[in-house]
Amino acid sequence: MALRAVRSVRAAACSLRVASAPAAPCLMRPWGLRAGAVPTLGTGSTLLSVLGISNFAQEALGDVVYCSLPEVGTKLNKQDEFGALESVKAASELNSPLSGEVTEINEALAENPGLVNKSCYEDGWLIKIALSDPSELDELMSKEAYEKYIKSIEG
Amino acid sequence: MRLPAVRLVRLSRIPYTELLALQERWLRRLQAEPGTEAGALLLCEPAGPVYTSGLRGGLTPEETARLRALGAEVRTTGRGGLATFHGPGQLLCHPVLDLRRLGLRLRTHVAALEACAVRLCEFQGLSGARARPPPYTGVWLGERKVCAIGVRCGRHITSHGLALNCSTDLVWFDHIVPCGLVGTGVTSLSEELQRHVTVDEVIPPFLEAFKETYKCTLISEDSSN
Repeated sequence: MALRAVRSVRAAACSLRVASAPAAPCLMRPWGLRAGAVPTLGTGSTLLSVLGISNFAQEALGDVVYCSLPEVGTKLNKQDEFGALESVKAASELNSPLSGEVTEINEALAENPGLVNKSCYEDGWLIKIALSDPSELDELMSKEAYEKYIKSIEG
Repeated sequence: MRLPAVRLVRLSRIPYTELLALQERWLRRLQAEPGTEAGALLLCEPAGPVYTSGLRGGLTPEETARLRALGAEVRTTGRGGLATFHGPGQLLCHPVLDLRRLGLRLRTHVAALEACAVRLCEFQGLSGARARPPPYTGVWLGERKVCAIGVRCGRHITSHGLALNCSTDLVWFDHIVPCGLVGTGVTSLSEELQRHVTVDEVIPPFLEAFKETYKCTLISEDSSN
């Protein structure tokens, strides 16, 4: 999946990433999200992923002035659009690399959308989802592969 | 190297909703088979007055009611930017493009739209046209905006675009704060050149500016790629 995406995608317009807990792996896909799987606290064995955009993406977008995010409880399938970021009079759709249910959204972005640029890997996270199909994580690019991919398209 | 070919879809005066429906069809076509085509350039002149708001909004329910009472349509869109007006006398251009096929980032696409409008103004003999940085994205003649810009991008495919005032009745803009920029003005090519400039007159030089800026060719909607 990642390989086919690398062949067909020439310029990543929006690369999303996910900040993850230190122990969890950091996975990315070419245009899309980097998801870290974090086991949830408490009971059950649901994997929680935090989604955000990569540094490459935030630079490509320019100053984010508005974040349109889904409601908690929204169920997402892989590749579904879950929101949009606005910068320079352009609204960029956000597509989810993973299937699951939205458990939390970053409320801080309502007042401070610039966090997405300033701290894309930490305070600028977008949403958290409880994964319905953790095997999808295997289809995402690793951080190293992503960085290699970005270098190859940047020239 | 062969230049990418963008399909020219030149529409006459059509209702804004028809343009949106056509845009949607092109979006689905390009998103369904990514990488196979560069995209389509949709051009039209709105048949009637319509106010639109963007992703962030830009029009309150009270404003919407007031504008409808004036006889205008009011539509929400998912584009960037706040409130603006579209109507007869305006060139409305929605390039539905695959950014990767054209070697563009979203920001360079926005800059290219501005460059097209600036070039078009130059072709019309107006040398002072300029783009301005955010939040003043758009093309300006002095302190007045002649061309508004607002785009959307999903899966590398763009939609919405620019609105260039040729002979638009500018009074319609008095009823809103255009693009949310208090204290700025709007203008048109007719206003600046002090003669009636039609949308039809402006289309050929606009197409030249587009091909030059985007480094592409324009082919008919139906021709095989």
